[in-house]
Amino acid sequence: MARIIGGIGTSHVPTIGLAFDRKKHDDPDWTPLFKGYEPVARWLAEKKPDVLVFFYNDHATTFFFDHYPTFALGVSAQFPTADEGMGVRPVPPIKGHPGLARHMAHSLVNDEFDISVFQELPIDHGCNSPLTMLWPDAVQAGEWPGALVPIEVNVLQHPVPTPLRCYKLGQAVRRAVESYPEDLKVVVVGTGGLSHQMNGERAGFNNTEWDMKFLDLIERDPRALTAMRLVDYVRLGGTEGAEVIMWLAMRGALSGGVRKIHQSYYLPMTTAMAVALFEEPTVAPRAAPKVAPLVQPKAD
Amino acid sequence: MNAQLEGIESLPGTYLFDLERSAKALRLNRFLHDFVNPEKRALFKENPEAAFEQAGLTKEERTMVRNLDWRALIRYGASFFTLEKLGRLSGVSNPAMVAHMRGETLEEFLKTRNVPGAR
Repeated sequence: MARIIGGIGTSHVPTIGLAFDRKKHDDPDWTPLFKGYEPVARWLAEKKPDVLVFFYNDHATTFFFDHYPTFALGVSAQFPTADEGMGVRPVPPIKGHPGLARHMAHSLVNDEFDISVFQELPIDHGCNSPLTMLWPDAVQAGEWPGALVPIEVNVLQHPVPTPLRCYKLGQAVRRAVESYPEDLKVVVVGTGGLSHQMNGERAGFNNTEWDMKFLDLIERDPRALTAMRLVDYVRLGGTEGAEVIMWLAMRGALSGGVRKIHQSYYLPMTTAMAVALFEEPTVAPRAAPKVAPLVQPKAD
Repeated sequence: MNAQLEGIESLPGTYLFDLERSAKALRLNRFLHDFVNPEKRALFKENPEAAFEQAGLTKEERTMVRNLDWRALIRYGASFFTLEKLGRLSGVSNPAMVAHMRGETLEEFLKTRNVPGAR
């Protein structure tokens, strides 16, 4: 049976990918960012999940406002890297997991999440910006070490889904994953944020105090976050910072016993860049029977 | 009225991209979105007026795009994420776009940042 072994919350601002591509690892302006992701990359290298279920948003790249899906699930075996207006970023194309993704589509729809599906559409920095931090060896290797099941969320054009709806989507995703018969290790990833605003005279707005509170509540009390309205997220974290509702989808897919084992926060310019790692309690190996069986197996 | 967004109008300098703005600026946003296509980028670079004509932009829309007037474009109804494509194509960075929207020079804006060199 497929099972969720952990979760990751991560920013997806394009400069994270740019810093990687420009090899800024040793540039003091960028070192804190790279250092912040190292424990997460190590954890992934150690745990070797088969699939990352990735809650992300498209940035008016693949989808346009003539038809902007609220939730859309990628079900194909491959997704090309999107051209966002300056050519294609040199990263491997994303590998999908059609078996799990198709099962999830059936499960979600029967669970009353009437999700759109897409196949072989290009995916933009919403996925690939954090992905090179999570799987840093993939570019050199020429392929990602695991598959992705991308779930697009509209956070661009209001009305966008409520924080509670995103959390419930995560819960439905957990039910979908756990009912898939194949033995797969799955990690759920919620992307976006933290505080930033990219429009109007309020552009450049940040709120570190709120970001810290969010990073605390997302582990300890996600229900407090689902009780908030979108306008609260906009006021506290900026119009674009409100995309952290995608972290709520990730959190909804995790259990009550999950623990945050790492977090990092860096705010160099306009967007607060954060990453947080959540680990599910390990399932204890089946305990040996405490009493000797009544019938001892015969020795040969 | 969307109950989730009640009170949004009290936030100064904020232009939430909603269905009203999207409808008003659909043609402009489509023009900007089309820069994901290399042929559309080439046409705009070689002959912006022909690109405007092909997209059927109004005089007001053409002027804002020609002047890279980020503040006016946002107020008009452009999505930041379609504008970002025009920014890349025109060699203007996000910090420079943000500074313009705030009514600051890039230098002034960078002084307000924690790590001005992280660009």
